[in-house]
Amino acid sequence: MHQALLTLGFGLVGAAILSLSALAFTLEYSVTNVANLSHGEILTVGAYAAYLVQQHGGGVLVSGLAAAAAGGALALAVHNGVVDRFVRRGIGGLPTFIATLGVSLVIQNILVIIFGASNLGYQIPQGAPRTIGPFLWTDTEIQIMVSAVVITALLYVIIQHTRFGKSLRAVSQNRSLASVSGINAHRVAALTWLLAGLIAGYAGFILAESVGTFSPYSGFTFFLITLTAAVAGGLGKAVGTLVGGVIVGISLEFFGGYVSASYNLAFAFGILALVILFRPRGLFVGGRRSVFE
Amino acid sequence: MTALLEVDNLCKHFGGVYAVNECSFTAAEGQVTGLIGPNGAGKSTAIDLISGFKVPDSGTVVFDGAATLRRSWLPGLPAAWSPPHRLSRRGLIRTFQTPREWPALTVLENLLLAHFQPGRERFWWSMWGPNRAEREGDEEERKRARAILDEFGLLELRNERAGNLSGGQKRLLEFARIRMAEPRLVILDEPMGGVNPVLGERMAAAVLGFAPNGTSVIIVEHNLPFIERVTDAVVVMAEGRVITEGPFDTLRSNQAVVDAYLGEMPSYDDLDS
Amino acid sequence: MIAYVVSIFTEGAIFAIMALGLNIIWGWSGDFDLAYYGYVALGVYMTLVLTVGPAQSPTEYILGLSLPFPVAVILAMLSAMLLALIVGAIALRHLRGIYFSIVTLGAVYVLYIFAGQFVPLFNGFNGVSGLFNPMSDVLPLDFNTYPYFYLGLCLVVLVVVVVLVTRLSGSRFGMALRSLREDERAAAAFGRNIYATKLKAYVLGAALAGLGGGLFAGYLSAFNISAWSPTETITLYAAILIGGRGSTRGVLVGILVMYMGLQEATRYLPEVAGHASYAPAFRVIITGVALVLFIRFRPQGIIPERRTRDGDPSETGGTTVSAEPAVIAPAFGSGAT
Repeated sequence: MHQALLTLGFGLVGAAILSLSALAFTLEYSVTNVANLSHGEILTVGAYAAYLVQQHGGGVLVSGLAAAAAGGALALAVHNGVVDRFVRRGIGGLPTFIATLGVSLVIQNILVIIFGASNLGYQIPQGAPRTIGPFLWTDTEIQIMVSAVVITALLYVIIQHTRFGKSLRAVSQNRSLASVSGINAHRVAALTWLLAGLIAGYAGFILAESVGTFSPYSGFTFFLITLTAAVAGGLGKAVGTLVGGVIVGISLEFFGGYVSASYNLAFAFGILALVILFRPRGLFVGGRRSVFE
Repeated sequence: MTALLEVDNLCKHFGGVYAVNECSFTAAEGQVTGLIGPNGAGKSTAIDLISGFKVPDSGTVVFDGAATLRRSWLPGLPAAWSPPHRLSRRGLIRTFQTPREWPALTVLENLLLAHFQPGRERFWWSMWGPNRAEREGDEEERKRARAILDEFGLLELRNERAGNLSGGQKRLLEFARIRMAEPRLVILDEPMGGVNPVLGERMAAAVLGFAPNGTSVIIVEHNLPFIERVTDAVVVMAEGRVITEGPFDTLRSNQAVVDAYLGEMPSYDDLDS
Repeated sequence: MIAYVVSIFTEGAIFAIMALGLNIIWGWSGDFDLAYYGYVALGVYMTLVLTVGPAQSPTEYILGLSLPFPVAVILAMLSAMLLALIVGAIALRHLRGIYFSIVTLGAVYVLYIFAGQFVPLFNGFNGVSGLFNPMSDVLPLDFNTYPYFYLGLCLVVLVVVVVLVTRLSGSRFGMALRSLREDERAAAAFGRNIYATKLKAYVLGAALAGLGGGLFAGYLSAFNISAWSPTETITLYAAILIGGRGSTRGVLVGILVMYMGLQEATRYLPEVAGHASYAPAFRVIITGVALVLFIRFRPQGIIPERRTRDGDPSETGGTTVSAEPAVIAPAFGSGAT
């Protein structure tokens, strides 16, 4: 029982990171209807930006902010440079999805050229693990979880209680209808991607912090898990995605702890395949999709 | 006059809403049967069910003397609702509200592919079949396709990609494809939708041209003058149910029909002027 | 120098076979399959474990037979087809568009992880090795002439594949697949069993993946998970897209441009002391950029898919095929989105 609670504790850390990443992904999806396959690279770039800041003596807070800023800038660039142009031309979801895969390859390999393909790590002291209730967490892990909760709460306030949030919801419900009623859908989408990029960049930083090392490919690998969480929660649905992230994050930790961590990704994809096949609209929305519906 | 299609007590609900509720009607062989009703009456769902694109909650459809069910591949399991391709092979073909041509294929290819021949499309036959002309659709078929295209005024366009045709031409192509397929029954889903009214007479002639070629017709359409012009009998649906069946002339005096349309049923003369 | 040219063309022929297989799945049938490189990898692994003999401790792998190379390649094709049948049977049943892509991406990652982590399968991370110059024992070839023989073998197989694929492309089966890509509902309404037809195309494409993988095994002589990654499918997609989706000639041109041309163009990049070569990373960057630009500006590719033209019926009644495309195809038909 104690072992299980410890695993749950570690799972909560993973779930916090995963939820942020999945929330950002689902935000991108909700306003453009594009599954952004270069989402993982936003996380990677965040991790590298934080690394650069630390090389120049920046602390944890500055590193986190730099990661967020870099992620936001990249997401905005991908939206304005590629995705929005495709959407304006009426190019469908699948071709745009393929194009973002191209973007992902480009960013990965630019990073390879600049930083090399090998693993890097931060010089942040993790702090001694402390016992909180039945759990065992380091200072860094506590920071990760607290910041994730704060960011999620902020995001909720933005979406529910600001004018921008209202436009965001309108665009994600029905883009053309929102445009007709005077909302600049392109601008709202760009701002949403910026917001998602800020979150994802920061998620990349805390991911690298928690894993200990990162490489140009680590974002893509984590993206695959992100995809599982987002699809399980229902693509484009913020609350569902949040819950999906928590469930997937914790179950991965249990699978890793009790079965084998090497097969974590395979397990995640097992969940993903089951969800897509039996609840394609997410775990929390009923109904099977047939080819014709 | 024999019934080609017998729909009995068909039900389908989405969530708590019954889109089709105890719907029953028949369509006679060799006739044009209209299926009309106000928006939301369940016409589209009904034809989705009949053509196998949706599976009903309950009810039966008998087409050409046999139920539209497929025996289960596991003995003991109940029979399943026929998928669209099986019904199509039995001779029941439908169209859609928007023309669904194969846009990157040429008009002639659209016609050749409309006539489904299971043997020919098999992989091994395609690979090792007798000769090139037969593998790609033999000359006899091409001749038939050209004749049908000529009839619909599309012959000149036969090498054009179908996606480049105008809306009206796409509708005509759809009729040509049906003629090519020679089904026992065709269900036309709003064939006048998006078509320039100038083409009305041509479309009517096309619809009336099916029966002499052995194809009975069910037609869903909002354009009532068009329905009056082409149908032998109509079925009126409202709120998922059939409220009456009979020749079009008898409807004007039917209070239920008038109520369903909120008394706004226009006469042929009104619209014509 | 000449040895370099021979190796480039051998690789080009092998990749062309793989790309032609993927073109059946994506170009004709319209499914954006991300598992494709998994079938290639399975073909390579199977060919190796069927030819290199029993595993010597500490290596471990399944089978460990010493079959003749051609037999091994055929068995490799069959195993790729079997895996594709399983994945396709699940993924093609209800899924299209990005959902199909995501599930196939998942499938290839599961294979990748098992190949890398589950040692008894293909010796885990270290992979399988020892297929050195297949068939050189039964042929009078020495170390210098062997590469020419292997190039010749790959080219002959490529020619056979091109002939068969061309035959299939114009046939009723090929046209039926196009109708699924263009509009599935209409294809079903006119009697086509979408699921069965798409599954056939999927397994057929995987057969060519297995074949290409088998030849690749003979060329590489060893294989492990650092030699491939699931995203390598994208390079094949880039070649198809740039050459012309759906068009056999286009795919061959795409391979010429994206593999051989790019390889050649990045060969003379300056090397930096103490750094690994930049060339592979540059190639992938160029591939990614080309992918984005072609989807945006020329989705039909360099040589668009050609449709047969019907001759004037008033003439002899014969059908002529002209080289001119009637109209440029919308490369992403409504069925593809």
